[in-house]
Amino acid sequence: MYNAPQPKLEDLPSKRQLRRSSIIAGIGAVFIGVAVYMPAELGQDPTGVGSLLGLTEMGEIKQQLKAEAAADAETHSELEPSLLDDILGLFVSSAYAQEAWQDSITFTLEPGEYTETKAIMEEGATLFYEWSSTGGRVNFDLHAHAGSDAVTYEKGRGQTEGTGSFETPFAGNHGWFWRNRDEEAVTVTLLLRGDYSAILSEEK
Amino acid sequence: MSTRLALFILTTLLFSTSAALAHDVTPGDAGYIQEIWGVHIIPFIYLGAKHMITGYDHILFLLGVVFFLYHMKDVAIYVSLFAIGHSVTMLLGVWFGWGINAYIIDAIIGLSVIYKALDNLGMFQKWLGFQPNTKAATLIFGLFHGTGLASKILEYEIAPDGLLANLLSFNVGVEVGQLLALFVILIVMGYWRRNPNFLKQAAYANWIMVALGAWLTYIQIAGYITFPQQA
Repeated sequence: MYNAPQPKLEDLPSKRQLRRSSIIAGIGAVFIGVAVYMPAELGQDPTGVGSLLGLTEMGEIKQQLKAEAAADAETHSELEPSLLDDILGLFVSSAYAQEAWQDSITFTLEPGEYTETKAIMEEGATLFYEWSSTGGRVNFDLHAHAGSDAVTYEKGRGQTEGTGSFETPFAGNHGWFWRNRDEEAVTVTLLLRGDYSAILSEEK
Repeated sequence: MSTRLALFILTTLLFSTSAALAHDVTPGDAGYIQEIWGVHIIPFIYLGAKHMITGYDHILFLLGVVFFLYHMKDVAIYVSLFAIGHSVTMLLGVWFGWGINAYIIDAIIGLSVIYKALDNLGMFQKWLGFQPNTKAATLIFGLFHGTGLASKILEYEIAPDGLLANLLSFNVGVEVGQLLALFVILIVMGYWRRNPNFLKQAAYANWIMVALGAWLTYIQIAGYITFPQQA
C-alpha cells in the first residue's frame, strides 16, 4: 500500500536517540524562547543575547508601535490646538500670496520620538512643501484621514529632505507623521504654502 | 462677525480637530520593518524563521513531504528540493515585485497539501495508474510556496536601502525555521513510526491532511470571492 514500505524497526531511530533529540529540542525551545523570542517580541532581554544580536531593538519598536496603536484606537486625537491660534490662522493665512512660503515649522526629535504636522484643508486644495533635516535621517508618512476617507500621499524612511505638493481628495487635516529612527537627535525644518486655513503641530 | 458665523467656525474646528492628529501605526513585524532601513541581518533571519514556523500551511506541506521518509538522506533530498523551490520564487518575486493575489496563491498552497496527502495515500497510482514524480512535485510546489512568501514579504514594504542583504537574511531565516520545524516533526514521526499500527494510522492521518488542505483552499477561495481586489 501507499508510497512507502513499512519501515523496518532497525532502520528507525532508537528510543534512546529519540529521547536524546527530544531533550535537545526542549532545551533549544526554552533557549529560543528566553534568548530570542522575548527580546525580539517583548523587548525584554534577560540573557543579554538579544541585545548582542540586535533583536532587543526590534522588540522595543514593536512594543512601542503596539502601545501607540492602542492609544490611537482609544482616542483619535492627541492634541488640543489652541482655538485662538486656529481662528487667527483661519483668517490670516488665507490672505497670503501664493508665491512665498506661508509657514516655517521647525522641530527636533530625539531618537524614537515622533510628532505630527497637519494642515486643515478643504477638498480640492493644494499644499506645496519643502523640508530638510539636520543631525540625522527621519521617517515620515504624509497622509490624511477623516471619517471613512483616507489617503496616503507619500511615505519615506531614512530621508533628509523632501519637496513636492499634493491636492486633497477630501476635506480634513492633511499632513505628516514624523519619527526619528536614527541614532542622533534630528531637527526638521518644514516650509509650507497653499490653501490651508491653519497648521496643527504637536508641541514637543 | 455674527454669532452664527462664530458658532459655525467653532463647530468646524471642533469637528476637524477630533479626527485630527491620529496617525496610522502598523504594529507588529510589518510595523517594525516599515520603521527601519539599512542592513539588519539577524532581525531579518529571525523574521524569516518566525514566518516559516508560524506558517502552518508550509509546515503541513513539509509534514506531508517527510511523512514516509525516514532515511536521513531522503529527508535531506526532499527538504532541499522544497527549499530550492521556495527560495527561487521568494527572492525573485520580491526583487521583481511579482505581487500575486494572496488568496489565489494561498489556495494553491492549500491544493499542494491535498496533493501531497493524496500522493502519500497512493491515490494517483490507484486513480491514474501511474506515480507522478514525487521529487518534481516537491520542487514545483516549492516554487508556489515561494511565490506565496514573496507576496507576503511585499506587504512588509522593506526599505530599498539594504533590501538585498535583508532579503537574503530573511531567506536564510526561512530555512532555519524550516529546519527547526523539521527537527520537531522528525522526533514526533520517529516515535510514531515505531508503533506497529503506524501504516494504518498513517492512512487516517493523510486523509485528515486532505481535509485540512481542502479547508485551507476553501477559506482562501471564499476570501478571494469576498475581497477580489485585495492583493
